[in-house]
Amino acid sequence: MFSELEKNLRQHITLTTDEFDRVKRYFVPKKLRRKQFMLEASDVCTRMAFVSKGALFSYSTSEKGSINVVQFAFESWWMADLYSFFTEEPSKLYIEALEDSELLLLKADRLQPLLADVPAMETYLRILYQNAYVALQRRLEETIGLTAEQRYLRFMERDGRLLLRVPQHMIASYLGVTPETLSRIRKQVS
Amino acid sequence: MKTKSTIAIIGSTGNMGSAIAKSLAKGSNRLLLFGREDTKLQTLKNDIHTLNSGADVEAIGCPKDASWEADIVILAVPYAAEAAVAEEIRPYVTQKIVISIANPMNETFDGMVTPADSSAAQELQKLLPDAQVVKAFNTTYAANFAEPVIAGVPADAYVAGDDEKAVQTVTELVQSMGLNPVVAGGLAVSHTLEHMQLLLIQLTVKNNYNWHAGWKILHN
Ligand SMILES: NC(=O)c1ccc[n+]([C@@H]2O[C@H](COP(=O)([O-])OP(=O)(O)OC[C@H]3O[C@@H](n4cnc5c(N)ncnc54)[C@H](OP(=O)(O)O)[C@@H]3O)[C@@H](O)[C@H]2O)c1
Repeated sequence: MFSELEKNLRQHITLTTDEFDRVKRYFVPKKLRRKQFMLEASDVCTRMAFVSKGALFSYSTSEKGSINVVQFAFESWWMADLYSFFTEEPSKLYIEALEDSELLLLKADRLQPLLADVPAMETYLRILYQNAYVALQRRLEETIGLTAEQRYLRFMERDGRLLLRVPQHMIASYLGVTPETLSRIRKQVS
Repeated sequence: MKTKSTIAIIGSTGNMGSAIAKSLAKGSNRLLLFGREDTKLQTLKNDIHTLNSGADVEAIGCPKDASWEADIVILAVPYAAEAAVAEEIRPYVTQKIVISIANPMNETFDGMVTPADSSAAQELQKLLPDAQVVKAFNTTYAANFAEPVIAGVPADAYVAGDDEKAVQTVTELVQSMGLNPVVAGGLAVSHTLEHMQLLLIQLTVKNNYNWHAGWKILHN
């Protein structure tokens, strides 16, 4: 249940066995089935999720009912609406299971006790937030500065292997194009 | 809250488990039912769907899987069975709410089997140190869930626990079931709550309350 998290933590920080045993006591083990929600829009996002197994995706919905995919998270990735998590404002996002998933959730009110108990986790979380910021900035720049085709190529280069698990219309939504446009781009670049 | 809560009921085929399941199924929760007998579980599922055709309920094969998928776990097994169930679910209830409904009475109903300075809820917390154990429903007879109003007033349903957020969540759940939640204090208050029910049971037998009785604090 904890092997992925342990591997991930140890990539960034040094923890004794005793410290990791303490870390485990702050995480909620939670199974989510495909199409179930970790978060629904208008609720405050009070939990960060580490994906041990499976995949999640976050999205907003338009008035017309279409979805705008914001982010995917596969094994060993984190997922949350950090904006809502930190501001405690209602989220505009849905976080849904793309596949049957096993998550480890960290609740907002457990964060400070965890950091007080195992200070090394401060470093880990700082790295986590840095990465989240970089990813957000990159996404913003790619959306503003690149053509759909360039965005697609970057995306495939980075996460191509994982995207085999994602339906085409969600990839299209993530890239901000229609499924038809995506299909045309795929033909062009192949 | 809009995001659905998933509630596992361990021992859902019993008097309390089935009464709580039927009551909760009227809301928008997702229910995971564990019981040892398939036929009883099927009957319960059918009853629930008769009450609410859109109810999100599922029978789950073992307490471990039910607890892993749940946000809240209700232990509705006899007190004597709690230690074994707790052992099985312990890794899967870390930082989750576990509701203790037990009244740990002896066989002659004249005392408790728990140590004099403890309670079923506190003993459960010792077995599940990383869970948020909350006492609830122990002063509510199984029959009261279908008829929470007794002699014209909604019966009180006392809630006790050490984690403030967990107590609030359970209080909202109790309210959604048509009972009148009263936050009684920290988990140690369970000792009193369990003894209140011991007394009520003794009086129910003596005065023939027909197992439809409850506590109510009168105040202005
Ligand atoms: N009855 C009331 O009005 C009332 C009121 C307040 C609190 N309580 C408390 O609620 C709890 C349950 O009482 P109840 O009256 O509902 O009892 P019950 O009708 O005998 O139900 C007990 C349930 O637990 C299951 N069970 C028994 N041993 C088990 C084990 N070792 N492992 C897994 N499941 C097991 C039973 O399954 P099977 O059907 O397969 O045997 C049944 O589903 C007790 O702690 C009691 O003090 C009861």
